[in-house]
Amino acid sequence: MQAELARELPPAGFNFENCKRNEALINGGFLAPKTVKTGTTIAGIIFKDGVILGADTRATEGPIVSDKNCSKIHYLAPNMYCCGAGTAADTEMTTDLVSSQLALHRLNTGREVPVVCATTLLKQKLFRYQGNISAALVLGGVDLTGPTIYSIAPHGSVDKLPYTSMGSGSLAAMSVFESRYKPDMTEEEAKKLVRDAIAGGVFNDLGSGSNIDLCVIRKNKTVDYLRNYEIANRKGERTLDYSFLKGTTIVTGTKTFNLDITETVIPMEVA
Amino acid sequence: MVHDIADSWMDAAVSTGTTIMAVEFDGGVVIGADSRTSIGTYVANRVTDKLTRITDKIYCCRSGSAADTQAIADIVSYSLYYHENQTNEEPLVSEAASEFRNYCYNYRDSLLAGIIVAGWDKKLGGQVYSVPLGGMLIRQPYTIGGSGSSFIYAFAQENFRKGMTRDECVEFVKKAVHHAMYFDGSSGGVCRIGVITETGIDRDIFFATESKASKDQGN
Amino acid sequence: MSILAYNGGCVVAMRGKDCVAIATDHRFGVQAQTIDTDFEKVHQVAPKMFLGLVGLQTDILTVRERLAFRKKLYEIRENREMTPKVFSSMLSNFLYERRFGPYFIEPVIAGLDPKTSEPFICNMDLIGCPNVPDDFVVAGTCGEQLYGMCETLWKPDLEPDQLFEVISQSMINAFDRDAISGWGASVYIIEKDKITVKKLKTRMD
Repeated sequence: MQAELARELPPAGFNFENCKRNEALINGGFLAPKTVKTGTTIAGIIFKDGVILGADTRATEGPIVSDKNCSKIHYLAPNMYCCGAGTAADTEMTTDLVSSQLALHRLNTGREVPVVCATTLLKQKLFRYQGNISAALVLGGVDLTGPTIYSIAPHGSVDKLPYTSMGSGSLAAMSVFESRYKPDMTEEEAKKLVRDAIAGGVFNDLGSGSNIDLCVIRKNKTVDYLRNYEIANRKGERTLDYSFLKGTTIVTGTKTFNLDITETVIPMEVA
Repeated sequence: MVHDIADSWMDAAVSTGTTIMAVEFDGGVVIGADSRTSIGTYVANRVTDKLTRITDKIYCCRSGSAADTQAIADIVSYSLYYHENQTNEEPLVSEAASEFRNYCYNYRDSLLAGIIVAGWDKKLGGQVYSVPLGGMLIRQPYTIGGSGSSFIYAFAQENFRKGMTRDECVEFVKKAVHHAMYFDGSSGGVCRIGVITETGIDRDIFFATESKASKDQGN
Repeated sequence: MSILAYNGGCVVAMRGKDCVAIATDHRFGVQAQTIDTDFEKVHQVAPKMFLGLVGLQTDILTVRERLAFRKKLYEIRENREMTPKVFSSMLSNFLYERRFGPYFIEPVIAGLDPKTSEPFICNMDLIGCPNVPDDFVVAGTCGEQLYGMCETLWKPDLEPDQLFEVISQSMINAFDRDAISGWGASVYIIEKDKITVKKLKTRMD
């Protein structure tokens, strides 16, 4: 345990030691680098027996697609999942952190955590950072009050709705909901509707693309996480084979490190 | 621009470009609001509830930044609940209002919040307090707020009379909010009305149709 | 110019059949001026795990040392070797701590799990958003060219010698169109029982 007393044990929370230097670099004419964004389509609806969340799977870095199949529906608790849009690291870390707070809450109280509890933790965190944590979330879950969908904006405002969408493709997804949503849909109907809403984003919004993920959380507490529910965009088959002959690349030096253990170990005498 | 594909939709903050209103009558207050929440020109929520519960008999109407007003309402609601438990008395509307004033004034540089606090208490009956942008606090017989209120100042002044009955007040609020929703682009949706009296709140929804029918009457 | 392109350089990692490969160029420069052409950006952090770092070199040195410190503490406390998966989440948390004042680096991790020998590749943006695909990851000043090369040349279940040709050709042809990457390259092929390091002959301009 002595090592824990060693220097440089990081205190919890954010570290701002580089801020001044970075500001100076940017003032010196360098461009600030881009972070990975999930310019996304995410959505959630309430149906007869629970909630369904949906998301596309594209992550972008400026105009470059940095991940073609990322997963944007994050686990919060056994009865709650949360879709994230915005800066990818922010959505990932924020949901992870809240997920562990919820786990502790569950262990402390010995009962299932209500969905509002997660909403409150998330909105208070986002509000505290005044929009600097750019996470736009669609939170869905079931608890003793029934199924609920919340949408949480980056500044920390919350809307409780029967159907909602977020991200750059939210307009496309919302247009599908506004024309076809009705209360008390069956699971099949509802899955189809969410699929179509996300597909609306995938095909009409540049920031969204690739596949469609769904997550069904039912009132009876069963969860179906349907990762890649639909492969909406398959990569084309290559008609030619680009195989290289061995030795195509000219090598000037090779070193091999053998990792096979050749020593024999003599067991210590314990008798 | 392709570079901004992921950024542009998040630039603007969520705000309740709003119409809110409250009127005192003998025995209670009538509060009213539209239901639109917008991000720039996009309607993020068309069925928002801007009449937010603080205690059973004190409500606030929120305008400005959705995040700011929700956060303040949560804090004040918590603090009054604590106060109620400690004193075993229902909190006064003026106490709620000055709590709102304190937050809005102390954080006036970082908040965008225009709030109407209204409710009933046994000391002064129905009361309406306005806490506008800079964090001032004033009691008024009726007040209007939010971006849509600019369109109905004259209407409100012309049609407000002292000593209106409860039903007259509801009618007054309903008409005013509908006019504001008609003229203000950032107000719209339905008109939500609440009547707070000694017994608590009675809520109603009025659609923005020609007849302005409530959901109970069918539209 | 972006701060990430101040020193130049690129790294790419690929997954093969029961093996992974990671490659780097050899240039170290200060903007347009080349300082060193024998400068490697890939570091061995465990017997079967390599960490490639591109971006601002001054930050890379700091990050490397702080990571090594945290990794050693973990291994002392837990008395077991760090898996690539754990290492990547440690790095991710380390970078996210500096969310509002980041290090200007882009990391790439490639390795085999010490117990199961499961191949693992991962890259991150500068604030630690992890990306764990099953094909390839790229980073550096010619990242866009690398994406193009890898998308066409990579295919599933490449054997180590084929994987070597694919990763080498991807990298060589990508940095031929980048003025601040190149000047030689190294490829590391990590297999269950051995690690092969190959130096490549490339254009030196």
